Amino acid sequence: MTPYVTIALTSLVAYLFAVKRLGVRPTELPRALGRLADVVGTGAIFALVNLAAAAGFVLGVRALTGHFLSLYTLDDAVWLTVSMLQGWLWRLWRDSPRSS
Amino acid sequence: MRSVTLVRALGVATLALFFVGGFTPLPTRLYERLMVPPRIGPADAIVVMAAGGPSLDGRLPDDSRRRAAYGIDLYRDGLAPLLVLSGAGGRRSESAARAALAGQCGVPEAAILAVAAGYTTHQEITSLAPQLRARGVRRVLLVTDASHIRRAMRLLEHERFDVLPAPVRAMDAPTKPGERVRLLHETLRESLALVYYAVAGYR
Repeated sequence: MTPYVTIALTSLVAYLFAVKRLGVRPTELPRALGRLADVVGTGAIFALVNLAAAAGFVLGVRALTGHFLSLYTLDDAVWLTVSMLQGWLWRLWRDSPRSS
Repeated sequence: MRSVTLVRALGVATLALFFVGGFTPLPTRLYERLMVPPRIGPADAIVVMAAGGPSLDGRLPDDSRRRAAYGIDLYRDGLAPLLVLSGAGGRRSESAARAALAGQCGVPEAAILAVAAGYTTHQEITSLAPQLRARGVRRVLLVTDASHIRRAMRLLEHERFDVLPAPVRAMDAPTKPGERVRLLHETLRESLALVYYAVAGYR
C-alpha cells in the first residue's frame, strides 16, 4: 500500500499548497470533481465509440474480403488510453471559453 | 443539460469501476463466476486450445506454453491416449511448436495430433470436431485459460462431445490493485466475447 500512502500525502500537500499559496477556495473542490467526472465520461464515450467502430471494421474486413483480422488487436491498453485522451482533449476543448 | 448529466454519470461509473476493480475482491468474484470448475478425469483425448500463435521468432508465448505444459502433464498422468495441440500460425505454426515441446517432454509422436485449426475459437472447434470424431473421440479433456473455457466448452458440447474442463488459471488470487484491474479487464473482455458468440449464433 506504500504507493497509495504516497498519493494520499502528496494530495494533502497539493491541497494545502492550493489553499494557502494559490488562494483556491476549498468549496471549489466538489465542482472540480464534477468536471473530472465529465472529462472521464467523455473519454469513456470515445473509447466505446472507437471500440465499436474498430470491431465493426475488423468484422467488415473479415466478411467482405475473407482476410482474417483478430478482434484481440483491440485488446490493447495503449489504444484504450489514447481513446480516453482523445475524449479528454475534446471535452477540454469544448469547455474552453469561446471567442465571439 | 440532460446529456451533460449522462456524461457525468458515465464518468462517475467509470471511476467507480476503476476503484472498485482495483481495491476490492470484485474482479476475483466475477472471474470465478465466469470460469468453470475443473473436472479432471479419464478421456479419449486431451484438447489444448490455441493461444494466439507463436511469436515472430517461432517461440511460444507464455500463455500458449502454459496451456501446452498443462496438457502434457495431463497426458503424462495417463488421462488420455491422445494429445491434441491446436493452434494457427505462419511459417512455423503454434501447433507445430507445441508438438515439438511435447516431444521434448517425452510424449510419443504417435500420441500427438497437431492441428493448425483456424484463427478463432469457433473456427478451431469447427475444424477440430470432425478430426476428433474420425478418431472415435467422444470424451474430451479440454485445456484452455480459465476465462476462455466456458466459451470453448459450449462449442464442443454443441458438437456433441462430452467435455471435462481442465482450466488453466492465468492469475492466482491477485494481491495488487494493478493485477485486480487486469483480471477485471480479462473478465469483461471474455464476457463481451460470450455475448458476441451468442449474437453470432455460435452457441
